[in-house]
Amino acid sequence: MIDSKEASAALADIDDIVQRLKQSQLYELASLAAVWWGVLVFAANLVTWLWPVYAVYAWVASDFLGVGGLVAIRLLNPPHQPHGAAFNIRLVLVFALFFAFGYLVTSVIGHFGPRQLGTFWPIYFMLFYTLAGLWFGYAFVAIGLGISALTLIGFFFIGEAFPLWMAFVNGGGLILGGLWMRRI
Amino acid sequence: MAELDDIIHQPLRLKIMAALNALPVSAGLEFARLKKLTGATDGNLGAHIETLAKAGYVSVEKAFVGKKPQTTVTATATGRGAFARHVATLQEIIAGRQG
Repeated sequence: MIDSKEASAALADIDDIVQRLKQSQLYELASLAAVWWGVLVFAANLVTWLWPVYAVYAWVASDFLGVGGLVAIRLLNPPHQPHGAAFNIRLVLVFALFFAFGYLVTSVIGHFGPRQLGTFWPIYFMLFYTLAGLWFGYAFVAIGLGISALTLIGFFFIGEAFPLWMAFVNGGGLILGGLWMRRI
Repeated sequence: MAELDDIIHQPLRLKIMAALNALPVSAGLEFARLKKLTGATDGNLGAHIETLAKAGYVSVEKAFVGKKPQTTVTATATGRGAFARHVATLQEIIAGRQG
């Protein structure tokens, strides 16, 4: 028979492995979402760079496809908790509030031009990524801060090629970050 | 007085059972994922999974995904029961009712 100290250590090992499992499951889903958004953001930035007149359509399409993809990922990977619902209305509300606040800032309170919009949305999105990372894992923080920093570098130092820069930094960054999460 | 389960009590087997038990019933984990979670080597993990399988605590399914072989390990009902009893015994020891 073991003593209470060894029993506590065994229970701590169990807690540790369960936490690691939960984190790896979260990273797996987040990775899918990041790669999906990365592809869409890459495409939308490329359209903005090559055919600026169609940029607005590309971004509206990418936003709808992005949110739709997240809902699909959620429906295909329902939570394991007994009371967790596969379709969570709070997820939709989070995005509604996210876009409403962004629209209020960029088009009502301020009147952002294409370059400012191309900077605001990624760092706004990455702010939530970084904040989520404080609870859910350092990978989110690393990706959020990394993409935000590169976005700001582009804003201040990259000229006409800013959308192209953002295609690789934001789109490519999310794809690489998503693939990295699968390996952690 | 409940006894600790000698098969589960070994540290690596305890980790394997803890991870599998945290999944929904009938869901399993791939060998590669278990390896990453537990930090064990291929040989060591394989040997301990075999011990758990012989005791009827896990089932092992081998399949091909494309051309790659994939081994999935799932906790059986017997294994889940044994793990729950093992954890209860550990808690009793901590509470001072045993030991």
